[in-house]
Amino acid sequence: MSLLNSFTRIRLIAGTTFLEAVRQKFFNSLLIISIALVASSTFFQQFDFGTGELKFITDFGFGALFFFGSILSITATTQLFFNEIENRTALTMLAKPVYKLEFLAGKFLGAHLLMLSFSLVITLVLSGILYWREAALLARLGEDVLLDGPLVRYGDVFVFGFLQWIKFGILAAITLFVASFSNTNLYTIIVSFFVLIICQLQYIARDAYSGMEAGLERFLVMGLGLIFPNFQLFNIGDQLVFDVEQALPLTTVLRLAVYGLIYTCAFILLAQVNFRRREI
Amino acid sequence: MNTPAIRIKNLTKDFSVGMRGVKLRAVDDLCLEVGDNEIFGLLGPNGSGKSTTIKIILGLLEASTGTCEIYGKPSKQVDARRSVGFLPEAPYFYRYLTGRELVRYYARMCMVPRAKIDAAVNSVVELVGMTEAADRRVGTYSKGMLQRIGLAQSLVHDPQLVMLDEPTAGVDPLGSAAIADIVRELKRRGKTVLLSSHLLAQIEGLCDRVAILHRGKLVREGRVDDLVEEKDAESLVVEGLSAEGRAAVEATIQAQGGILARIEKPRLSLDAYFLKEVHQRESEHAAQQVKTGSQKS
Repeated sequence: MSLLNSFTRIRLIAGTTFLEAVRQKFFNSLLIISIALVASSTFFQQFDFGTGELKFITDFGFGALFFFGSILSITATTQLFFNEIENRTALTMLAKPVYKLEFLAGKFLGAHLLMLSFSLVITLVLSGILYWREAALLARLGEDVLLDGPLVRYGDVFVFGFLQWIKFGILAAITLFVASFSNTNLYTIIVSFFVLIICQLQYIARDAYSGMEAGLERFLVMGLGLIFPNFQLFNIGDQLVFDVEQALPLTTVLRLAVYGLIYTCAFILLAQVNFRRREI
Repeated sequence: MNTPAIRIKNLTKDFSVGMRGVKLRAVDDLCLEVGDNEIFGLLGPNGSGKSTTIKIILGLLEASTGTCEIYGKPSKQVDARRSVGFLPEAPYFYRYLTGRELVRYYARMCMVPRAKIDAAVNSVVELVGMTEAADRRVGTYSKGMLQRIGLAQSLVHDPQLVMLDEPTAGVDPLGSAAIADIVRELKRRGKTVLLSSHLLAQIEGLCDRVAILHRGKLVREGRVDDLVEEKDAESLVVEGLSAEGRAAVEATIQAQGGILARIEKPRLSLDAYFLKEVHQRESEHAAQQVKTGSQKS
């Protein structure tokens, strides 16, 4: 019963956080810019890329999803957290029988729901553009190009969107962790972007320790490689959407999702450790 | 209920300031008890430790040393807050919700059973006099209305202890009077109210007991009447005195066309008493600083 009550409170906080987020001009502006950018790839029809055009559009769409999604994930999580602190709604909330972990989990889920909407809209727009261009190509090149299989696996476009959403979840949890000990929006945003870059380049640390001899140095570099999640693991768009011969097995997708979930939970728990002692 | 609503024992709170972690003492060895069904005022100048004390009572801050209990339960336990309603100073609420939606939201947060939510929301909205405006968005509310809807959200789960941090700050006199009436009504319904305020004249007429904090220390605590009465002086209001003196005064008064009605103890206003106490502490503190400085040199 207590656990059920806990879930109810988390759901309520997440709901208001999401509502607060979608009402922000920043979210709507970023969403419109992202949609416009993905949709603008249709102008590439004037270049004769052949079937390569679809790959170009896909890369363009995935790039926009990652770039704007990362910005939104960090800034929205920061803003949603600090709004509650600065406006003292957190004070009203936490004066109720609400655990601080419930508050953080609610904030995270609200931000994550926002990212789900964003990822879904961008993925839908991208799929629509791809479908339109694919139809135009088939009309031009004939059905023979389909002998080796479909040009685009649309299901996998959504799988990629799902994996990006998982990645945004880790990023939101990292941002929440930074916000838990930070005093300003700006500091949180800057540090979170640094962590994003580290996570993107984290494979360098992994390459480094794989070539090292066993010892303290290797242990330290390996530790660093484990602390920061490896975001390159999620960049498998090409393999998903176009590489028909070597389609990505579902188990890999599930393992990636679990990998993301573990890091997300770990960073939320770390945020809780800081937030417990924080003056509100 | 014999258990005090709030029991604070030897409470001290230190904050670490700056990179070196210099200790700043916000609350210093505070001992306080607030009885059940009492209106208790927490007074003090800015930085005296009122808000820190309230936050510790609410479990939002951990005490450095000492204990704090709400109806016998340690205040840092989330469970202790089930019997507490809180209105922060200058509250801000989600502007896009209506007043009723906001109160409902907090009712659900406090796990008010679904079957009872409507009745609970309507009851508190009516109590704070917001029935007509309850379906308007919070963003359109005046300051006084915000305070009243804030009060409604703090009461919706029927808490036994209500804590109000500067409930009348920035509210016009009419709004303040309305909030004071609500506080009196809460007492009539058997609730305990702890409030902090700078509007001392209002506290004077409202509180059963008050505590004055200064630099984190408890300076005075007691019934308002006991604190503000000048025990070594009397003022002749109209009638009275000793039989002879009274007769003489009465004769004089009668000769002058007046009536000696009663003798009562002259009172300082709470504002005056408060300022006197604070100024006295400030002088003592300044003297202490000078003394410490001269000893060091």
